[in-house]
Amino acid sequence: MSQGTLSPPRPRRSRRAVSSTTPWLFLAPFLLAFAVFYLAPVLYAVYLSLFIKKRVGFGPAKEVFAWFEQYSRALQDTAFLQSLGNIALFGLVQIPIMLGIAVALAIVLDSVKGRAQRFFRTVFYLPYTIPAVVAGLLWGYLYSPNLSPINQTLKAVGSGTVDMLSSTVVLWSVANIVTWTWTGYNMITLYASLQNVPTDIYEAAKIDGADGWNLTRYIKLPLLRPTIILTFIFSIIGTMQVFSEPFVLRPLGYVPDNLTPNTYIYLAASRDAQYGYAAAMAILIALVTFLFSTVFLRFARLGGDR
Amino acid sequence: MKNVKLLVLIGLLSSSVTAQSSYQEPKLPKVSGNVNLTVWSWVPNLDKTVKEFEKIYPNIKVKVENLGGGPATYTKLQTALKAGSGAPDVVQIEYGYLPSFIDTGGLADLTKYGANEARNLFVPWTWGQVSPDGKSVYAIPQDTGPFAMVYRKDIFDKYKIAVPKTWNEYAKAAEQLSKASGGKVKMGNFYSTFSPWFIALAWQDGGQFFKRSGDGWVQTLDNSSAKKVLNYWNGLIKKGYVSTVPAFSADYWNAAGAGQIATNFEAAWGPGGYASSMKTKSAGQWRVASLPQWKAGASASGNWGGSSMAVTTQSKNPQAAAAFALWLNSSRTAVETNFKGGGLFPAAKAGLKLPALSDKTSPPIKFFGGQDINAVYAKASEGVNVNFQWAPWFPAVDANFNKQIDAMLKGKLTPDQALAAWQKESLDAARKDGYTVR
Repeated sequence: MSQGTLSPPRPRRSRRAVSSTTPWLFLAPFLLAFAVFYLAPVLYAVYLSLFIKKRVGFGPAKEVFAWFEQYSRALQDTAFLQSLGNIALFGLVQIPIMLGIAVALAIVLDSVKGRAQRFFRTVFYLPYTIPAVVAGLLWGYLYSPNLSPINQTLKAVGSGTVDMLSSTVVLWSVANIVTWTWTGYNMITLYASLQNVPTDIYEAAKIDGADGWNLTRYIKLPLLRPTIILTFIFSIIGTMQVFSEPFVLRPLGYVPDNLTPNTYIYLAASRDAQYGYAAAMAILIALVTFLFSTVFLRFARLGGDR
Repeated sequence: MKNVKLLVLIGLLSSSVTAQSSYQEPKLPKVSGNVNLTVWSWVPNLDKTVKEFEKIYPNIKVKVENLGGGPATYTKLQTALKAGSGAPDVVQIEYGYLPSFIDTGGLADLTKYGANEARNLFVPWTWGQVSPDGKSVYAIPQDTGPFAMVYRKDIFDKYKIAVPKTWNEYAKAAEQLSKASGGKVKMGNFYSTFSPWFIALAWQDGGQFFKRSGDGWVQTLDNSSAKKVLNYWNGLIKKGYVSTVPAFSADYWNAAGAGQIATNFEAAWGPGGYASSMKTKSAGQWRVASLPQWKAGASASGNWGGSSMAVTTQSKNPQAAAAFALWLNSSRTAVETNFKGGGLFPAAKAGLKLPALSDKTSPPIKFFGGQDINAVYAKASEGVNVNFQWAPWFPAVDANFNKQIDAMLKGKLTPDQALAAWQKESLDAARKDGYTVR
């Protein structure tokens, strides 16, 4: 009774009623966009992947429901599996190199002060602002066997030239473009996290006698660990999606269709009109990416616990 | 510049009055009601040509969308046909890619709109391309790419090389040039990433790559002509007489402009690209001659590219769309403006005799030293083998060619092995895609 006088039940009830629907009202625009632009395409891809083309004589093919036939086809398609192998090799080499440079740059930049710091921060970040297609065209010129200034310099020195667009080398030419583009981006992330380290930690470390390399080895790197893991995960996901760079290089030489999974899937859909097959492969790629990042995260956590 | 264009235009108008009687114009159907047409084409200046059409049909409004051509257009068209909406009324498609679109069921059969009556207006071999079964007509031929040899007159003069008439002479000239220039000048270039270029050379020799047979197909990518041509070229490549730079690349234009490549084999639409890509470099030094022959005295040629105009099944006014496609590719006005503004080498028979083709003020002719290059191409057009068919899975065949040739150039496969692998892998792909093919 006394409670009732303090706070009348009516407004309270109505407030409670409001509070159960209001969050949803606020969430609705997001959920709608999420359903339309995220869930629907994924579900449509799953739906497409269950169909296979069947032809009788001439004329258009019929799309026939075939359960998981496209998936089993993908798992037996050596070209597709090769593309996965290519990208795994690519990631294994490219990600450590890129993040290694990014960490080094971030630490160096963190210890530089003043105008120089701002200047180099911008310079390292600059390549990331260039779209992948433009970067591909730019490097494509630098790679062109006969026009390449690199090759012309090599020739002038009297050394042999390298065909950076040769089908056996092109994976690493793409890796170079990706490294060039993304190192600065990762560096900024790592650098920002270093900037957030409270200065008293450094001060305490210095009192304990840690300086120079020791400070980096025992203080900065362990503190960077969560950020390095984060950039690693993003890099794994990014690597699985490499597409623009190899695609832009295609007219300049022979770049295999299956250099990366995404180029192979794109060509299956757009060139060969194999929508079901492309959808099945795309879903497999999503699963593989998910698997890779989870496994990596598991290992990273294990290491952290030790 | 403007004055020159104006003079040309006046010249055109006056000449069209005198020559009108000899030009065979298409019979155009009547179209009633107000119609809006959308056209996808990569031909430059098509919007200007279209205005002339709107004068004949004031009730039809035509909107031209240029998607950039080739892969970009095909991807968008493929998607629109799959989606069931978004396709234009009329769309430009190259002959080699036409069957893959016919196969989607997205192209209208134009026989209902009188297309078969227009058959005689076009160079004979083109009709087989747009009407693969001899009954249904899926497109109107637009332009063609008969093959001829382009060469550097200055280099030939400098090293005292006669224009080769046969492939035998070409190989001998290649050796002579290589020795005389110390290997610095290549006789030619093998476009290692463009199967239609190679196919055109085998086409000259009567090579057949696809054939319809009963309810299915026969694919013979390793036919005897293909073997002969590829072995011939591989021999020249291995001796270092020819380079293997990709077509349309900066690398190629640079080498050709700098005099590192003395000849090449280009379609009728090619010279325009030479003029615009090399500009002042080597301008006036180039000439065109007939394709060297396997049999001395013959006049056979192949074809690279060229395109047609198809009407999609999504068109709400297929009658008007068909009329437009027909007018655009066979009326004198359109053929002339398409040639001048867009570099389209006509598929219309009467178009090959137009004075506009030998207009000396045009950039390609100037680039080719004022030579009447299109007379050479018009002659080549007559020598193109009529019985040539493409298959719906050609896009995949085209891509696989690059893979096998790359292996051949790296010495991993002999030309015969490369062709056998091309045949086998393409056959597997076609079968996986559900085609009955052997």
